[in-house]
Amino acid sequence: MLKMFSRPLLASAAAFGLLALSTAAQASSITVYSALEEDEIAEYLAAARKSLPDIQIDVLRLSTGDLGARLIAEAGNPRADVIWGLAVTNILDPSIKQMLEEVEIPGVETLPEPYRAEDGSWFAATGYLGAFCVNTAVLEAKNLPKPTSWEDLTDPVYKGEIVMPNPASSGTGYLQIAAILQGMGEEKGWDLLERLDQNIAQYPPSGSRPCTMARSGEYAIGASLSFVAMKSIEAGFPVEMVIPADLAGYELEASGLVKGSKNREAALRFLEWTVSPEAAEVYSKYKDMITIPGVPRSEMADKAGLPENLTEVLYPMDFAKSAVERPEILAKWRSTINR
Amino acid sequence: MSTAMAPAAGFAGKSGHKPKMASADRLLLAVSLVVPVLGLSLFFLYPLGLVAWRSLVGLDGSIGLGNYASVLASPGIRTATINSLWISALTTAVCVVLGFILAYALQRSSISGKGLVRASLALPLLAPSLVQALGLIFLLGRNGVVSQWTGWTIDIYGPVGLLIANVLYGLPQAVLIIEASLRHSDARYYDAAEVMGASHWQQFRDITLPNAKFGMLSAGFVVFTVTITDFGNAAVIGGDYRVLATEIYRQVVGQMNFGMGAVVGILLLIPTLVAVYIQRVASQRQFGGGSESAIPVQPSWLPARDLPLGMAVFAISLCMIVVVATVVLASFMFLWPYRMEFTLRNYVITLSGGYTPLWTSLLISLMAAGFGVVLLFLMAFAQKRLPPALARLLYFGAILPVGVPGLVLGLAYVLAFNVSDSVLGLLYGTTVIIALCNFYHYHSQGFLTMVTGMRSVPPALEESVTCLGGGLRCVLRDAILPFLTATTVSVFFFLFMRSMVTLSAVIFLFTPQVMPASVTVMRLDEAGFTLQAAAFSTCIMITVALAMLLMRVAMTYLGRKKAGA
Repeated sequence: MLKMFSRPLLASAAAFGLLALSTAAQASSITVYSALEEDEIAEYLAAARKSLPDIQIDVLRLSTGDLGARLIAEAGNPRADVIWGLAVTNILDPSIKQMLEEVEIPGVETLPEPYRAEDGSWFAATGYLGAFCVNTAVLEAKNLPKPTSWEDLTDPVYKGEIVMPNPASSGTGYLQIAAILQGMGEEKGWDLLERLDQNIAQYPPSGSRPCTMARSGEYAIGASLSFVAMKSIEAGFPVEMVIPADLAGYELEASGLVKGSKNREAALRFLEWTVSPEAAEVYSKYKDMITIPGVPRSEMADKAGLPENLTEVLYPMDFAKSAVERPEILAKWRSTINR
Repeated sequence: MSTAMAPAAGFAGKSGHKPKMASADRLLLAVSLVVPVLGLSLFFLYPLGLVAWRSLVGLDGSIGLGNYASVLASPGIRTATINSLWISALTTAVCVVLGFILAYALQRSSISGKGLVRASLALPLLAPSLVQALGLIFLLGRNGVVSQWTGWTIDIYGPVGLLIANVLYGLPQAVLIIEASLRHSDARYYDAAEVMGASHWQQFRDITLPNAKFGMLSAGFVVFTVTITDFGNAAVIGGDYRVLATEIYRQVVGQMNFGMGAVVGILLLIPTLVAVYIQRVASQRQFGGGSESAIPVQPSWLPARDLPLGMAVFAISLCMIVVVATVVLASFMFLWPYRMEFTLRNYVITLSGGYTPLWTSLLISLMAAGFGVVLLFLMAFAQKRLPPALARLLYFGAILPVGVPGLVLGLAYVLAFNVSDSVLGLLYGTTVIIALCNFYHYHSQGFLTMVTGMRSVPPALEESVTCLGGGLRCVLRDAILPFLTATTVSVFFFLFMRSMVTLSAVIFLFTPQVMPASVTVMRLDEAGFTLQAAAFSTCIMITVALAMLLMRVAMTYLGRKKAGA
């Protein structure tokens, strides 16, 4: 029994010791907060450790919203050295952005402009798309056609068969409506959202749940993320991924250096690695959207049937605008849709 | 310690009608009071105070009631409040009625299979919340087992599903407390009633029910409060049925607006004020509880009562078992519900730290239950000996934690203990802080169970021990402990089980080095490996069950050794 306990005990003891002794001795150990997916992190880290053998990288993984809340709670005494892959909409929230140091990292300058902050506080090497998870078994059983666009989803045949994340509690949910409003314009956008609402069975609070609901056959269609859709297909669920033809929203996974990091050198080296060609190579195993130039199209994108001309399909989102307008849009969503 | 002694000595001196206490007794009483109160202040009231302060800070950094005004003016807050009150009241009514039936059957009837009923009642407490949610959806969802077999389309997402899920979670906690009030009763009351010609129904109405009143009130209070503060069930199965706990989540996690979230957290404390009334009931003297020569009630076999009772109890047990069993079954399936072939592949878990977090959680839970049960025992013991006004204050502080949602408690802990400039910061990022957080999260349930149990200790017995020259230590050892063993053990296991699986506060406190098992379940589920999360949950449940079995065996062994000596 004692042996089983020794690890966490040691960890606690180590944590005590660390704090007591000051952190100078551990200069090459960094703490990374990430909202990237569990299995990709494992693989990226394996690669990072090869390139940076002298740095001990400890990753704390939480979903976007939880991680954002934890970062803000810890703001008084930040515990992270690096934020790695957090939705840019959250990064742009003033309370998080002010925690990031404006710094020049070699390699970041190669990223196209919309994928990095002008002031150097963040950059995004990867991203994900808004996508529908369509359960083909349910479509067949209920004799429904396969939808290809947001406009299709407003067809009354889908009444009670669509699930969409709640924009008030989910970043993905907000991303979807922000893309619609920016891409179609306020008037047409709200009109679509209201018509769509007639068909929505429920708005769960997480961005991935609509897809997990659709894949288990609870509902026919879940408006969700490309990543979950691809994972569901891989797992063998009767799911197809649909990137809405009329408007594909996307989210960037942004990274940055936390101000006052006690392991600044190591943290910067790690951030530099995340935009390196080696990193890009492992990203392509998981990511449908990689912003590092010159990276060949990923296997994952092929498997999921993503369009060849991905960058043309994507609507050029204005993230700064969507972050600023968030309270206003959510208030309007509440008063018109009210769920 | 010398400064801490002073107030305790003060109150002991004030109650002048009592014989002067020996200094050893004063020390014992002072320790019993000061240590738990210090713990409660430092690890609950202080963090909560920081949240209260945060609720006054606006997004622009201004101080005032602005957040309260915006929360109260926001559209939908009215609906959320009404929905929350309504669903919590309904859950409470169902849980108190069913809880009494179960507790009565376990303590006062002679139905067989009590062990099975007890085990099934432990299931919702030792299962991660994901299991409960998955189980209900696998069974009653639109594509669930029942829909598949009967062809009915059930829509579980909404108030009905929420009610079922809340009852499953609240019922075991109600039984825990009500059982403590039925555990010790004096058979002589019933004998006397029998002689006077009272029917079984009259005895039940006039002796059993009044004595269980405090337990039922406390249980109702706990169920109401845990329901109104629970976010997990509402998120998974509540559909678009809007409740207050969801509002906190929307503000804090969805929109990163701490001030507004803190306001809802503070407003959710209002229901705990009801407890002031319960405390008044508590201070009324109880009859029919223990007396020094109490003869325990021996349940007799009454077919007219025990047959229907047995059927009702087993029906409830069956529901609890089926929900969990479905998830365990699914964890052995290739791809529920599309490829139902047996496989062990879901048990090959390498992500999220593999199985190591199980041991971390065991350590955390043993700590939480270990110091928790000692602190609660001392607190309940001291509370009984305080002047009424102070006792009421202590009581209120002790039951306040149940009104705090886990999310709020977790954030409060970060605000309080993530500091670099004080000794408090040393705890951050360790197993100890998570254990403390888990204990104070479930402090109220443990405290109410202890107090309910403490009420059945015969006052005459305590007095006679004192008269025979025994100090407070002897009263503790000879009068209170023997009466409270069963209740203390049940509180220990309650804290142990909850600490193994609670998640909402822990997500703010774990670190890459200290990862509890409940976080692993969440991470596996979030990464899309739902069946692996189910498999890991199954392993947690087995670990908890084995650990409890081991501890029970050890206790029986120690008990025998002591009795033999």
